[in-house]
Amino acid sequence: MSTTEILSLTETIAPADQAAVASVVRDAGRDGTPVYLIGGGTSLDYGVRPSIPGVGLSLRNLDRVIDHAADDMTITVEAGVIMADLTERLAAKRQRLPVDVRLPHRATIGGVAATNPSGPRRYAHGTIRDYVIGITAVDGRGTTFSGGGRVVKNAAGYDLCRLMAGSLGTLGVITQATLMVRPMPETSALLACDLPDFTEAERLLAALVHTKTLPVAIELLRGPARQDDPVLGPMLEGNVARLFVGFEGSRPEVDWMIGQLGEEWRELGVSTPMTVPGSEAGLLWDWLAEFCGEVQITVRPSTTVDMIERLLRLDPGSSIQAHAGNGVIRVRLSPRAPDDFVALLANRLRPEVVGVGGKAVVLCCPDGVELTGREVWGPPGDGATVMQAIKDRFDPDGLLNPGRFVF
Amino acid sequence: MLYSPLVRDLRKQLGRENVLSAPSELAVYDCDAYTIEKTPPDAVVFPSNTRQVAEAVKVCHRHEVPVVPRGAGTSLAGGCLPVGGGVVVMLTRMNRIVEINVRDRLAVVEAGVPNIRLNRALAPTGYHFAPDPSSQGASTIGGNVATNAGGPHTLKYGVTVNHVLGLEAVLGDGSIVQLGPIEDVAGLDLIGLLVGGEGTLGIVTKVWVRLTPNPQAYRTMRAVFDTIDDATQTVSRIIAAGIIPAAMELMDQAIMKAIEEAFHFGFPLDAGAILIIELDGPAAGLDQQAERIVDFCHSCGAREVLHAASPEERALLWKCRKSAAGALGRLSPSYFTQDGVVPRTRLPEIIRRIVEIGAKHQVQIVNVAHAGDGNVHPVMLVDERDPQQVDRAMAAGRELLLECIHCGGSVTAEHGIGVEKIELMDRLFAREDLQAMARVRQAFDPNGQLNPGKVLPDTRSPADQPNH
Repeated sequence: MSTTEILSLTETIAPADQAAVASVVRDAGRDGTPVYLIGGGTSLDYGVRPSIPGVGLSLRNLDRVIDHAADDMTITVEAGVIMADLTERLAAKRQRLPVDVRLPHRATIGGVAATNPSGPRRYAHGTIRDYVIGITAVDGRGTTFSGGGRVVKNAAGYDLCRLMAGSLGTLGVITQATLMVRPMPETSALLACDLPDFTEAERLLAALVHTKTLPVAIELLRGPARQDDPVLGPMLEGNVARLFVGFEGSRPEVDWMIGQLGEEWRELGVSTPMTVPGSEAGLLWDWLAEFCGEVQITVRPSTTVDMIERLLRLDPGSSIQAHAGNGVIRVRLSPRAPDDFVALLANRLRPEVVGVGGKAVVLCCPDGVELTGREVWGPPGDGATVMQAIKDRFDPDGLLNPGRFVF
Repeated sequence: MLYSPLVRDLRKQLGRENVLSAPSELAVYDCDAYTIEKTPPDAVVFPSNTRQVAEAVKVCHRHEVPVVPRGAGTSLAGGCLPVGGGVVVMLTRMNRIVEINVRDRLAVVEAGVPNIRLNRALAPTGYHFAPDPSSQGASTIGGNVATNAGGPHTLKYGVTVNHVLGLEAVLGDGSIVQLGPIEDVAGLDLIGLLVGGEGTLGIVTKVWVRLTPNPQAYRTMRAVFDTIDDATQTVSRIIAAGIIPAAMELMDQAIMKAIEEAFHFGFPLDAGAILIIELDGPAAGLDQQAERIVDFCHSCGAREVLHAASPEERALLWKCRKSAAGALGRLSPSYFTQDGVVPRTRLPEIIRRIVEIGAKHQVQIVNVAHAGDGNVHPVMLVDERDPQQVDRAMAAGRELLLECIHCGGSVTAEHGIGVEKIELMDRLFAREDLQAMARVRQAFDPNGQLNPGKVLPDTRSPADQPNH
């Protein structure tokens, strides 16, 4: 489906500058027309599909790098800057934003900030929320406001950067962000091993708590989704699951950590740890960041394996990638009719997740499936009242991305 | 004795032994480590659990009086000052470490647990709680959360917000919320607001903190410079080269002198400044990194670079650094510690300006800094008994913070706004920015009873109601 169809747009406006963004919101506010925010269009199926027609607000023309203060290790960019371009810009100074993003050649920094995605490197590096140190946005009244600044440590006032990051465009249109960046590591590598069963998976994950190494990613993969994948297919063949542990750093550090974890695993009886060296690791990292599951489950890290086993009892054909160190499990369910998807999610999967104290969220709604906010996000938590009160004050007429999140 | 209706209700809900209301007892709570302003509260309560905190807040809500949460009272910005009277809620009796769970890399602690006690309890596990403010011997986790505390090692490990997985908090109406600890992806980051909210959005009662593995090895160096300018240039060049050490701390000559008198570490008293630079991580890469650091120091004019020879020497070096402020008592009857931050490349400039500002206002200013973050802590030495000296120090402090803003920085990196810096908020932020913050506050605390008179100027203005 096209963006226009997904969002029921009457028209799409792509303002030329940040001031024009505020005008679009104010104009829409006059007759209460909903405004749907569009970055690279890679996450339009995240959250509830809008039902009220409205105007599309594309940030694609806000694509300027305002200031790469390389020696301060910060960069200030407009929201429409494409992630791959940002990566390239930073790489020229041997810097990076260590956040994994799907479809980086389309995704924009504004969209990433608004959706706060999780990837493999979350284990060591967190999410975009941990890197936005300054933000400018237009609220639902069409007023431009900023939070944070350009320094890496700032305790002045409330952290509007963290509030806007992950708010799914429901509080304001992010037009500009200042990001803290990190040095590019010299190299990276991964160590992988086969898992004959899930008891072994939990044994190795529990042992990683005491490893002398410093993993940046702990990934548990299972299922058929990758069987045709030229890189991962052969690695996953014939196993119950596979564990990847990723390292980054200077060459001596990474070499030592790969050797050390290999040794730790051999002592635990793992017969054939496989090293994916620096020269091949790049492609594998990209593959690990690209996995698209429909449902994301979060549990305590120690419950990850138990949760995966429960999932497989519900849907033995599902494909799974867990950021196991964080307890984040991405699931691609086996193909099924839309009604079956809703029934499995609402009646069986979510009760299991909630039963172990976790949360399940629909990351991308399959074609033909219509979901309610409750079905996408699950039961509201303790914060629901305050979240609603914040929404009411930032966007009193409910213009911005209405229905996308719980409001 | 006749008690006010407020005190009577508090005594009824919390037990009379947990409520202070005699003027002589209240005087203890009329300020925190920011001693410039003093106002006693109307009462002080000592809850032992979250339910009692909620009860106390509900009583205050009914009586329409302010609620001021307080941990160890180490705030340097007056975060615990009961500006408008009201009830101080002491969280120090809520000091249980509820759970240490290494498998999930988290610990669950009540708000009143001192930072140091958590870290001592964690010692056998090989993990630690990373934020390490200099006050960590006294300051509580709840206080660390309220101010989004930092410390030397936040250069590599981030500030408190990066280490909080979940919170339990009592809101202004007395309701109790639990946020986290499951890592969430979507929705509004209420944890990120409460951390650094300075007790104005909710009273944090319990915290799920992330645990960080202890480094396998350290390389701790002290680089000695003839001038403070050489030292700050070194810091900027190391960061610009893409090296982020675990910590990079600056101390000037006066600080070293005070520390030397207190600890006899062996600092060279004729040097202009030293940098303490620490690398940590797997031993494999450290020597190579340390060599690069040493080269940078020498190329910027370091007189010598010495390595800590043993874990004991490293520990003593850090003890010296973290006790720096305390040692200043040897130089002056009182002192005020400031907290400002600039982009890292502007560090040499801001330190030069601070020296000039001290001379202009005839105030002796000595400098410690979390230099790698661009976070300066100029300390103004004064005799508090001399009001003119105090006035001059205040004026100098204000001017140097304005200078931080001028350099593209902020008026606080880790101490918070409190009451001290409230009048600088509109110098740092536009009116629209402050209105956005005020909306956040109203959403959490519509009646404005939680720690009023802090963080935002004129937060009780009726300007910004929902649905206009």
